[in-house]
Parts: sequence; structure tokens; C-alpha cells
Amino acid sequence: MTTNRVLAFVALVLAAGAMVVGRPSTTPPGHIDVDRLAAMIAHEDDHVTAVELGTWLRDGKPGLRVIDVRPKADFDEYHLPHAENVPLPSIGKASFRPDETLVLYSDGGAHAAQAWVMLRSLGFTNVYFLRGGLGEWLDDVMTPMLPTDATPAEREAFRKIADLSTYFGGTPGVGPRPPASSTSEKVKAMRRRGC
Amino acid sequence: MTTFALPLVIGVAFGWTLERAGLGSARKLVGQFYLRDLTVFKVMFSALVTAMLGLFWLGRLGVIDLAAVYVPQTFVAPQSLGGVLFGVGFVVSGLCPGTSCVAAATGRLDGVATVAGMFAGVLLTGLALPSIWTFYESTPRGAVTLPDALRLPYGAVVFGVVLAALVGFQIAERLERRA
Repeated sequence: MTTNRVLAFVALVLAAGAMVVGRPSTTPPGHIDVDRLAAMIAHEDDHVTAVELGTWLRDGKPGLRVIDVRPKADFDEYHLPHAENVPLPSIGKASFRPDETLVLYSDGGAHAAQAWVMLRSLGFTNVYFLRGGLGEWLDDVMTPMLPTDATPAEREAFRKIADLSTYFGGTPGVGPRPPASSTSEKVKAMRRRGC
Repeated sequence: MTTFALPLVIGVAFGWTLERAGLGSARKLVGQFYLRDLTVFKVMFSALVTAMLGLFWLGRLGVIDLAAVYVPQTFVAPQSLGGVLFGVGFVVSGLCPGTSCVAAATGRLDGVATVAGMFAGVLLTGLALPSIWTFYESTPRGAVTLPDALRLPYGAVVFGVVLAALVGFQIAERLERRA
């Protein structure tokens, strides 16, 4: 048997095996690999920060889709730039491609994190959620604050965040962080500013 | 480090393999268009089948995450025009991008000319991009894969492509013997 015939035979056997097993993944759709997800959560590979997401949006990360899992009324009131509204109840019916990078967000982090688990169970691996939700976006990107007693390293880091903030029409400031207010109040404040 | 070192190693290995397969010679490449020498078809289809079977089984064994493999977006009209332009360039020069680099590296002047023409084309396209942007982004179809487009199981598509390759190799060998 010549080398070509041996190689052809090996390719045919591997291809026939591929047809038998069907999918190039051991995890069937709808199955959750609990150990793997737990390890990802422990390594904090499951989420992105608001600044990371802002950088991806600004730099036009290929295949990025930002998904707002809140109800439509909340989405219409305020949402992140380029975000799409897929309310949580319809997340299983949404059309996502495996090679897309999906970033989910909600008001806090809980609903987006739950949607993350659902999409992972459907076999999507390039999925993240915004850790602190819309509140983190408003705090860290739209109204970042540089403490008055900041170190030079903190000032340098803040300069980049301030650039990012300005890009999205935010208002970086200097001073003590204002008292925490609820997300809905911040949203209303953003709307008053015309964002 | 791996950002530069790994592509360099892969690139050198790719170039070396192309040269060893005789694809640094424009005479050998144009033989394909006259059905005299189908080495290009055999080398490229072998590479495709090897990569496909490798990706499928490495994914199945959990070594790589197939979802993380980038699938280029499809834009029907601009990519069709690009394909025609590529084909015309291939026939005229007798070389494609990879083989032109191999030809240039082995000191062939036609290879150097093709590489220079290729970079000039890239530069001109880049400069003209703002004015052709509407066409550049027209007829988008998303990142389409064969299993999606044909609505067939992944494994069935793998088997079909391998079968097509093996039948294709048989036909190619017969055509070469006849030539």
C-alpha cells in the first residue's frame, strides 16, 4: 500500500468517525459542565468590567455584540451604545453565532449572570457579563472620579479612563466620590443630560 | 513572545512546505489552469482536509475550543469581485500570495514583482477605502459555515468534504496522466 493510499484511508476513517460522533464537541447543547463553569467563575473569566467593555466598544472589537437583558421599557429609557435588547425571557430564542463575543448586562449583575449561565448551557463560549451592570457603566465610564489625593500611577490610569469617558460623552471629574445613588436615579440624570 | 515567535515558526514551516511541494514555480502553478499539473489543487485540498479533520477531532477531544476560532464574515458582492481579481492575478502572474512570497524568497524575479504588485494593491485599496466603503460592506451574510449553510450535521459535512477531496485526487491524477 502506497503512502498516499494509507493517508487516504486514515482521512476516510477519521471522516467516518466524525460523521458518527456528529459534533466537534463533547458537550451536547443544553448541557452544563458545572466544574468548568465553576472554575471560570473562580478565575473571574466570566465577566468584564465596564472599562474593558467601553474599550472594546470604542476600539470596534470584531464580532462584539452587547446584549441588554432588561425589559424593553428600561432599554428604551437608557442603554449602552450599540446595545441590542434581548429581554431575559427571550434569551433562548435569540440568534447568536458561536464566533461572536457576547457581553450581557442588566441593571445590577444578577440577571446578566443568569443569562450567562443559560447561554453557556446552549454551547456559547464567548460570553461575558458586565460585572456591576448598568450602575458600573454609569459610575466607572460615564462619571469616573479621580480622588483628590490620587497617586501619580492612579492619575495616569485615570487619564485613559477619562479619555474613554469623554469618547462616550461622559463627564470625568475630580473630587471625592459622590454619595451612591440608585441606578434609576442615575439613568434619569443621564437622560436629562441628553445621553 | 508567542505573538511574534509562533506566527514566524508557522509561516516559515508553511513557506518551506510550499517550496518543497514545488509551488514556488509559476510554471508549475499555471499548469493547473491547463489541467497538466494539478499539484496546487492536491496540496491545498490536502491542507484543507488535514486542518478540518485536525480541528474537528482536537475540538472533540477538548484540546481546542472551536467556538474561539475566528470565522471571517461573508460579503457576497465585494468578495466575488475580489475573487475574480484574485483569479485574474493568479493566471497572469502564475503565483498566489503565499507562493509569490516563496518564489521571492528563493530569488525568482517574477515572485519579487508579484509581491511588489500585491503590496501596491493593498496600499491603493487602503487609500481608496473611504470612497469604496459602501460597496466594501455591502451584501453582508454574517459568519457562515458549511454546516450552517447546508443545514447538515458538522460531522456529515466533514465526511462529505473528505470524500470530495479523495474523489478529486483520483480525477486529478487521471488528468495528469493523460496530459
